[in-house]
Amino acid sequence: MSSSDVIIFNGVSKKYSKRQVLHNSLREELINAVFNRSGSSCKLAQDEFWALRDVSFNIAKGECVGLHGPNGSGKSTILKLIANVTYPSQGSVLVNSRVAPLIELGAGFHPDLSGAENIYMNGAILGLTIREIKRKTPEVLEFSGLEEFINVPVKKYSSGMALRLAFSIAIHSSAETFLFDEVLTVGDEGFQEKCIRKIDELKHQGKTIFVVSHDRNSMNRICDKILHLNGGALGEISSVGAQGELNSLGVIK
Amino acid sequence: MFNRLYEYKDLLLVFIWREFVIRYKQSVIGVLWAILQPVSMMMLFVLVFGVIMKTPAKNYPFVLFFYSGVLPWTFFAAAMNFAIPSLTNNVSLITKIYFPREVIPLSGIAVCFIDYLLGFLVYLILLVCYRTQVNLNFLWYFPLMGLLVIFTTAMSYLLSAINVYYRDVKLATTFLLQLWFFATPVIYSIDTVDIRWKYFLFLNPLTFIIENMRRVTIEGRGLVVWQLCLETLLVMAYFAFTQRIFIKIERAFADVI
Repeated sequence: MSSSDVIIFNGVSKKYSKRQVLHNSLREELINAVFNRSGSSCKLAQDEFWALRDVSFNIAKGECVGLHGPNGSGKSTILKLIANVTYPSQGSVLVNSRVAPLIELGAGFHPDLSGAENIYMNGAILGLTIREIKRKTPEVLEFSGLEEFINVPVKKYSSGMALRLAFSIAIHSSAETFLFDEVLTVGDEGFQEKCIRKIDELKHQGKTIFVVSHDRNSMNRICDKILHLNGGALGEISSVGAQGELNSLGVIK
Repeated sequence: MFNRLYEYKDLLLVFIWREFVIRYKQSVIGVLWAILQPVSMMMLFVLVFGVIMKTPAKNYPFVLFFYSGVLPWTFFAAAMNFAIPSLTNNVSLITKIYFPREVIPLSGIAVCFIDYLLGFLVYLILLVCYRTQVNLNFLWYFPLMGLLVIFTTAMSYLLSAINVYYRDVKLATTFLLQLWFFATPVIYSIDTVDIRWKYFLFLNPLTFIIENMRRVTIEGRGLVVWQLCLETLLVMAYFAFTQRIFIKIERAFADVI
């Protein structure tokens, strides 16, 4: 662990319940709140499963990290833990910087609002102040290439257009850490190329970046490190060389 | 406790603005709805209780009597209707990104409050039209209004948070508000109620608020200060309690929603 580490996962486990109605959860939360317990237990109750199991890693400032693994292997859970949306059942997550997750299509957008109005909406959610948004709006619009449609309600956008706008807002956030969940497939080829270049640019500005993708080629291109996950456990951590070659750094567990 | 909200004040402002814009988008008369809702409800009551049933009321016009009750009630009911499903309506935000969750119900309450203020202007006009003798006691209306907002916020914190766990809350809202409406002196006056029920009705803070709103505006009388202090203390304690619960269980929202 060095002082430049901005994200530290220390023996992190996360369990989820498969049950639809959580009869016990509210009661547990309240009891934990009253008795000031942290509410974590290393045992699995009925219908629970581990989404992450004893995951540890350190990420230094300015690193670009790829998360790779099959569906359900815990990639998105890791992003959620970094974004502080959820908390670990065991272990600790330390995040030392402002995080901007790229919200998936439609999440931060309201279909009845126009593109410009949604920039305000999404920008504020990403932690920008109103003044910052005002200043950055032209930049965002230029990047998205949607100047023509700025006053059109987002419900009339194609899904590609909406994604482009969402991506453009996210990368103009002033955060230090960026989380990209399956966004390398955004838009057409031209726009994808633009995104990858922009991510490179962010990297040069010293931003920390997490990318979840199934596209190994683009991941090899932009990432310094790739974490391989399988069934909630961290497998290999491979580092990517300058030419995009994979070198195995060692196996954890 | 308010520090964390202050950090996100821009987000709250943008949310309020969003709710306000969406509410009246694609509607012909737009913001006029804010006035039309309480006014039409008041006219309905005047028709039913004043013209058809000829219920004996206070010694002042039915229009003022009903409007003074309907206005705060409309705020409360609209805010509850908005707030209770508000967290579950924003699943995609809650599971993806962190911000203090109370921003969501609060923005709805704020928009309902703007409507309330617009409706209040109509109330002022009505008071003038009926040549009511208004005196300085009128100023008591504003602390009562504040009390109403705090109580509404506390209720929405509690119910919107429980609704994340049990959708039953949302399904019960209609009935709950219906019941609450009759437990609040909107269409009747507490003076006409039997003494046994009176104490029971005063368990409902809205009873105190609405009765006194009439008293200080239409009747021009002052309110009993120790009662206001006691009521304020109770409402503040309740607010602190619900806010604490909300913040404690907020961190699990993304997992159970």
